Amino acid sequence: MIANQEAEAAVPVPGAVTAVDPMRLASRWRSPEEWERAVKELEAEPLPSELNTFNSSGLFAVVSTDKLSVRYLGSHNHGHDVGVVQADRPAPTRRAVYYFEMGVKNAGFKGQTSIGFTNESFKMRRQPGWESNSCGYHGDDGKLYRGQGPGESFGPKFTTGDTIGAGINYLSQEFFFTKNGSLVGAFAKDIKGPLYPTIAVHSHGEELTVNFGKEPFCFDIEGYILEEKMRQQSVTDKVKLEEPNISHWIVRSYLLHYGYQDTLNSFDMANATEPPATCQNGHREPPETYGLSHRKLLRQLIMSGDIDSTFKRLEEWYPQVIKDEKSVICFLLHSQRFIEYIRDEQLEDAVKYARTSLASFLTHKAFEGLIEDSVALLAYEKPAESSIGYLLDSPQREFVADAVNAAVLSTNPVMKDDHEGCLYSCLERLLRQLTVCSFEQRTFNNNQGDAFLLHKELRSCERSRCS
Amino acid sequence: MFLSRIVLRDLDSIDSLASMASSKKVVTRDEWERKLRDVKIRKEDMNRLVMNFLVTEGFVDAADKFRIESGTQPEIDLATITDRMEVKKAVQSGNVQEAIEKINDLNPTILDTNPQLYFHLQQQKLIELIRAGKVSEALEFAQEELAPRGEENQTFLEEIEKTVALLVFEDGKNCPYGELLDVSQRLKTASEVNAAILTSQSHEKDPKLPSLLKMLLWTQNQLDEKAAYPRIKDFTTAALEDPSI
Repeated sequence: MIANQEAEAAVPVPGAVTAVDPMRLASRWRSPEEWERAVKELEAEPLPSELNTFNSSGLFAVVSTDKLSVRYLGSHNHGHDVGVVQADRPAPTRRAVYYFEMGVKNAGFKGQTSIGFTNESFKMRRQPGWESNSCGYHGDDGKLYRGQGPGESFGPKFTTGDTIGAGINYLSQEFFFTKNGSLVGAFAKDIKGPLYPTIAVHSHGEELTVNFGKEPFCFDIEGYILEEKMRQQSVTDKVKLEEPNISHWIVRSYLLHYGYQDTLNSFDMANATEPPATCQNGHREPPETYGLSHRKLLRQLIMSGDIDSTFKRLEEWYPQVIKDEKSVICFLLHSQRFIEYIRDEQLEDAVKYARTSLASFLTHKAFEGLIEDSVALLAYEKPAESSIGYLLDSPQREFVADAVNAAVLSTNPVMKDDHEGCLYSCLERLLRQLTVCSFEQRTFNNNQGDAFLLHKELRSCERSRCS
Repeated sequence: MFLSRIVLRDLDSIDSLASMASSKKVVTRDEWERKLRDVKIRKEDMNRLVMNFLVTEGFVDAADKFRIESGTQPEIDLATITDRMEVKKAVQSGNVQEAIEKINDLNPTILDTNPQLYFHLQQQKLIELIRAGKVSEALEFAQEELAPRGEENQTFLEEIEKTVALLVFEDGKNCPYGELLDVSQRLKTASEVNAAILTSQSHEKDPKLPSLLKMLLWTQNQLDEKAAYPRIKDFTTAALEDPSI
C-alpha cells in the first residue's frame, strides 16, 4: 500500500493542470507506522549486540551461550595469551556518542581485566591498548594503554563488583571511560576506522559480563549526551543572525502560507504594540497573502469535515482548481467525502458515493494506493481501530486541507510555476537546507557524529525539559 | 628549446587547474535539489516549532488561536504565559516596582535565586527615576538600595557608577553611558526577566527557532570550506544560490 503511494508521485496524472504533488507536502505523514518506518531507514546503522565468538582466540577464553559474558581459560604464561573478545559489530558512528559497559563479575587471581576499543585487525591475544590502533583501560593498574608503549596513569583500578564503561564521543572526538557511574577521564581519539567494543580477561578465574544497551547503564549516558549537545549548541548560538527579527518574519510567513489567519492577526496585533525593535523592518509582503481569507475558510470547512461546502466554495472562488475532474485535488476531495461518510457511519451513502465519484479514479494507476486504502475502510466493523484507522483522523483532513491550500496558491499568477513555493513554506525550505547541509557536513567527518533531523531535535527538547 | 618552454607553461596551468578542482567537492544544483526533496519533515513538528516560538516569546493570544487553527497543543499552560507577559510589559513601560511585585506574586524565589536579575531591575528603577528628573529620589535610592549591592560586587559597582553618571549630564543622551536611557535597555532587562521566569517554570528560556537559524548559518559556513553547493543567503526567501565554482 505504501509503495503505491510513493509511485503516485512519479506517475503523471493525466489531464492535470498545475499538478502540485500533494505527496510532497509535510502533512503527507498521516500514518504513524509509515513515519516510523521512514525514520528507521534514515537512522539505520547496525549496532553491537553481543560478543563475537568467531574471531576470538578460542584457547584463552570462553564466551557464555548468551554471548554476554566471558571467562578466562588460559594459564597466563605471558603477554600473548589474553582472553580478549570483541563485540559482534563495530561501534555505530552516525550519532553523537556511543557507549557500552562491562561488569567485573570476578577479578580472579590478578584482576587483569580491561575494557576498550580495538580495530578489525587486532591481534586477538593481546590486551586492548597493547597494540597500535587500540585503547584500553586496565583494572589491575588503573592505567590507560593506547598502543605500544607503557601505560599512562589514568584512573582508579577496578575489581570484582565494579561496572566500567567505555565510550566514543564523536562531537569532541574523544574516548572516555567511566567507573561505577562516574566519569574517569577522556582523551583524544586518534584511531580511525571501525572500532570494536572490546573486553579482556587474563588471569585464572576472571569473568566479565557486558551490556550493549539491553539493560540500563550505570552511568547517566543520556545526561552526558545532553551536556555535549548543549556545548555544541552554545557554539552555534554565538553566530549572529543578520536580522534579529528574522524569526518573527519566518513565523509570520508560515502562518500566511498555510492560511492560519486568526493566529496571524493576533500575532500582528501583539507585534504592533511591542516597541519598534520587534517590528518587521519593511520587508516586501510575502506572496502568500494571496487568497488568505479564502484559504482560511476552506481549511476550516475541510477540518470540520464539510467537503460539500468546500466544493461549493471552490467552484465559487477558484473554479480552475476543480475544473479537471480527474485531477489529484478532485480525487483527494472526493476520497475525503467518502471517508467522512464512513466516519458518520453512513455506509450506504459511502458506497453510493464511491460508485459515482471514486470509481472513475480506479483506472488511473497514480491513485491506486490511496483508493484501495480508503475503500478498505468499508471492510471493517470498527474502521477506527483498524490499521488504516488513521484515515479517519484529523491528520488526513489536514493533508487534504494543505493540498487544497497549495492548489489555491498555485492559481496566483505570480506563483504559477513555483511549485516549491506552493508546497513549502519558507520555514520548511530553511529546515530542509539545514538537514541536507548537516548531513553533507557529516560526510566530511567520516560520517561521524550527529546530523540535524527536526523530529529528533524536538524530542531532545522535551527530554531536557523533563530533567 | 622553444617547444620545451611551451610544454612547461602548459604543465603549469594544468597543475593549478587540478589543484583548484580537487580542493572542494562540487554539488550541482540538480543533485542538491534531489537531496532536498528526500528530506522527510512532518507538519506536526513544524507546528510544534511555531507553537514553541509563540509560547516562549509570550504571544498568548496567538498561541491560543494557533491551538485552535492547527490543532497543536501548547507546551505549557497558557495562563502562566499571561502572568509572565504582564511582568515583561511592566518592565518595558518602565514600571519596575510593579514588575518586582508581580514577580514575587508569581514566585518569590525567583529574585532570591537571581541576584543579578534583581540588581538589573533595581538599576532599571534608578534609570527610570533619573529619566523622570526625580533627582533627589534617585540619589536616595542609589545610596540606600544600590550602594550596598555595589560593595559586594565589583561589576555591580561599575554599573552603579555608570548609571549615577547620567545625573551629571543635562541631556542624558550625550552622556557616554547614554544608551542606558535608551528603550533598548528596558528591553534587555525585560528579556532577562522573561528568561528567569521561564527557567523557574522549568521551561527552556529560549525559543528553538532562532537557534536553528543560527545552526543553518553555522553549518553553511562550515560546509563552505569543503564544498561548493547551492547556499541560501536570504532567509526571507530561502532561495537557493547556484554553487560558485
